[in-house]
Amino acid sequence: MKLELGLIKIEDIQFASESKIDGTTLFVDKETVKKIVLEDEVLVSCDVDIAKPGESVRITPVKDVIEPRVKVEGTGGVFPGWMHKVDTVGSGRTNVLKGCAVVTAGKVVGFQEGIIDMSGEGAKYTPFSKLNNLVLIIEPDESKDQHTYEKALRLAGLRVATYLGELARELSAKEVKTFESCTIPEGIEKYPGLPRVAYVLMLQSQGLLHDTYVYGVDIKQSLTTMLMPTEIFDGAIISGNCVSACDKNTTFHHQNNPVVEELFAEHGKTINFVGVIITNENVYLADKERSSNWSAKMCKFLGVDGVIISQEGFGNPDTDLIMNCKKIEAEGIKTVIITDEYAGRDGASQSLADADKAADAVVTGGNANVVIKLPKMDKIIGHIEAVDIIAGGWDGSLQEDGSIEAELQVITGATNEMGFNCYSAR
Amino acid sequence: MIIITNNDKVYEKFSERYKVVLIDGTYKDVLIKVRDMIHLGHKLLTHPLMGSVKPNETPYRSIAIADQIDRVDTGDIIIIEESIMTFDKFAKVDRPNRGQDATTTMKVDYAEIDLSLIGNAIDR
Amino acid sequence: MIKIVHYINQFYAGVGGEDKADVGPEKMATIPPISNALKAQFKGEADVVATVYCGDSYFAENTEAALESILAYIEEEKPDLVVTGPAFNAGRYGVAAGNIAAAVTEKLGIKSISGMYIENPGADMFKGKTYIVSTRNSAVGMKDALPLMAKLALKLVKGEEIGSAEEEGYISRGVRVPVWEKERGARRAVNMLLNKLNGEEYITEFPMPMFDKVDPNAAIKDITKAKVALVTSGGIVPKGNPDHIESSSASHYGKYDIDGVSDLTAETFQTAHGGYDPVYANDDADRVLPVDIMRDLEKEGKIGKLHRYYYSTVGNGTSVANSKKYAEEIAKELVADGVDAVILTST
Repeated sequence: MKLELGLIKIEDIQFASESKIDGTTLFVDKETVKKIVLEDEVLVSCDVDIAKPGESVRITPVKDVIEPRVKVEGTGGVFPGWMHKVDTVGSGRTNVLKGCAVVTAGKVVGFQEGIIDMSGEGAKYTPFSKLNNLVLIIEPDESKDQHTYEKALRLAGLRVATYLGELARELSAKEVKTFESCTIPEGIEKYPGLPRVAYVLMLQSQGLLHDTYVYGVDIKQSLTTMLMPTEIFDGAIISGNCVSACDKNTTFHHQNNPVVEELFAEHGKTINFVGVIITNENVYLADKERSSNWSAKMCKFLGVDGVIISQEGFGNPDTDLIMNCKKIEAEGIKTVIITDEYAGRDGASQSLADADKAADAVVTGGNANVVIKLPKMDKIIGHIEAVDIIAGGWDGSLQEDGSIEAELQVITGATNEMGFNCYSAR
Repeated sequence: MIIITNNDKVYEKFSERYKVVLIDGTYKDVLIKVRDMIHLGHKLLTHPLMGSVKPNETPYRSIAIADQIDRVDTGDIIIIEESIMTFDKFAKVDRPNRGQDATTTMKVDYAEIDLSLIGNAIDR
Repeated sequence: MIKIVHYINQFYAGVGGEDKADVGPEKMATIPPISNALKAQFKGEADVVATVYCGDSYFAENTEAALESILAYIEEEKPDLVVTGPAFNAGRYGVAAGNIAAAVTEKLGIKSISGMYIENPGADMFKGKTYIVSTRNSAVGMKDALPLMAKLALKLVKGEEIGSAEEEGYISRGVRVPVWEKERGARRAVNMLLNKLNGEEYITEFPMPMFDKVDPNAAIKDITKAKVALVTSGGIVPKGNPDHIESSSASHYGKYDIDGVSDLTAETFQTAHGGYDPVYANDDADRVLPVDIMRDLEKEGKIGKLHRYYYSTVGNGTSVANSKKYAEEIAKELVADGVDAVILTST
């Protein structure tokens, strides 16, 4: 399966009377965007704002970050199961608005979190400070429950991203990246001497604000299964979770999965990248056993020599991570796991809730308990009062001068466990 | 199935269908009760640390265990003990009782999340 | 000139060996040879302005009072840094050296370093609270230890950046430190996997904590026929502590005959343990080593027989390596004596 990503560079976003892409500027008609958001009767108000790199702007509480893409060749459309039918995606060509994102901000629950600072100390930790962000601040009909609001907010972001992606349908990209994965017999024939490697992608799947969807399916209701790696680039996986923002995968993370990119970079050279195994992180212990059994079974079935396992979240997913690692290693398959740590503010506490000697190759996204000082920003997009009560913030963490002292875990994507960042711990 | 909880919403929703033990106490009290039940031979069904809300942040916890009494499962003992250790680790931070001290509206949201987590685990 | 105070035990102070281990804290009028050797390593950049010593047993048994006087002596000198040890593998000395270094930093806000062997119980207890330079297990390692300690001391006083444990030669503090890597995590993961697949060296970014998990033995088929022994790390010994088991960092264990003994009384047994309030154990040692209950069970036929000997040591500050050694010896004897089951009691 071969997918070309046509990268349409976006270096600026401006409001205009008509939405279009001109050169490297994305012009956005605010009223149309609002109308698209408010198509859903659950949502009663929407404001649209722009946040650019280097600006003194803080966005919070961030629900999701989405990269606008459009499928220009090949079957299916982006975000299958939501914006398009469930036709298999991942082949042909997809145009990508590179350098921008749609950010949804909305308070689903009182303690919600997720900060993106566009400049200053906090900007170092989140990859989204480097993007031109179109921010949607969305309020629900208050009579609706949180589940209904969460879904409406999630889908509104996908609709706007799809709308913006469509603007690039007729554009031809100057830069094209090609990703090609092969079938099992092809791989064996083409790369007989190379070690076979799979990627075990663990997806958060526990309930409200803790869910992930694949082709529209709530992954907690699925057994461990497989994707061709390129499907991920077309939005096969979308995020429905944002609690404890530092180590949750936004939809943007999935669309740009760094492990998939890096394995493709080695594919055919040092390894034979066989595919992606997706597995869930349910709270039912029998599910954990079953799902990790299936991960190990599929690795064995595919005859791989090595896997990279990425975790999502903290606490009970540590158990899933260790189960996956242990069972896959027990099949004689080499593993590297990617996680993050909660080692306390002083770094002296035990980092993970579970451990095993099989996990002897660990990459870490850093200690989420590290305390950072975020300077006052001139402009706040969203609900700043949330900062005082979000996870990792504490009473008075919102200082009188507008600065914030809080744990790293408030920053969206700061300790991402797909290995999106350079931040780590020793 | 028995649900050990300190969340009224969970009691209201599930007490007709399952045995629900409503604890008048904290998150940790729920963990301790579950630990005791595990030692009596009840199998642990859901992970005690479900959800991404940290143990010092949410005041609510619900855990499902098996109704029938069987052999004591040492794996379960390890999970519950490690969960209690994790709880204690988070209790050492500056605001150990953020969940307990939360405003009423926030507690409503915490209760809703807890209900969603346990509901998603058992209503299948 | 940078001012250093040196803490050592009675042996290095030239006061005497184990026979003098109960001397209290003193500040020395002139600094002893070991402090001069340390001073020489500073090459004129720092001076050892005073040396304080204390007997190892005295410190172990009167920790609070000893610490108070030692800190007072140190404070008088207003030093820039305090060096304690090196204690090598001397358990009580190591615990004292670690304790004092930690207290100097915590209570006086003065920087500190220590030095000892990695298996010294003081290392595990205090490595997170001070810098402990890793030394060999005996004074043979002195000439390697002092230069490392002096170098790290100067760096600390000057506020220079302290490198990783491996670079500087101190025992890992078990503290996670934030770093920015050159490559993103996914790339590092792929590189690590390639190394692992190719059988090349790779370094995990997070070493898993190792727990020595022991698989439980198969259950005893018939406990009413079994010979059961008691083993404790709670320090229960016959009155007078005939084998002189130390109150902490025990260097050995004892084996005691309880033939015909059905109750441990205040007149016959006591604890040697220095790590908990001994009043209740001394009052009735059955509270730690349940001989009385075992005799009842024996009489009722609920167990076959209580083994004639029990084994006892003090767990307080005793290194894992020593504990393992004792256990191996004890286990061998128990097996030879036909013991079927052991009840281990701790405190």
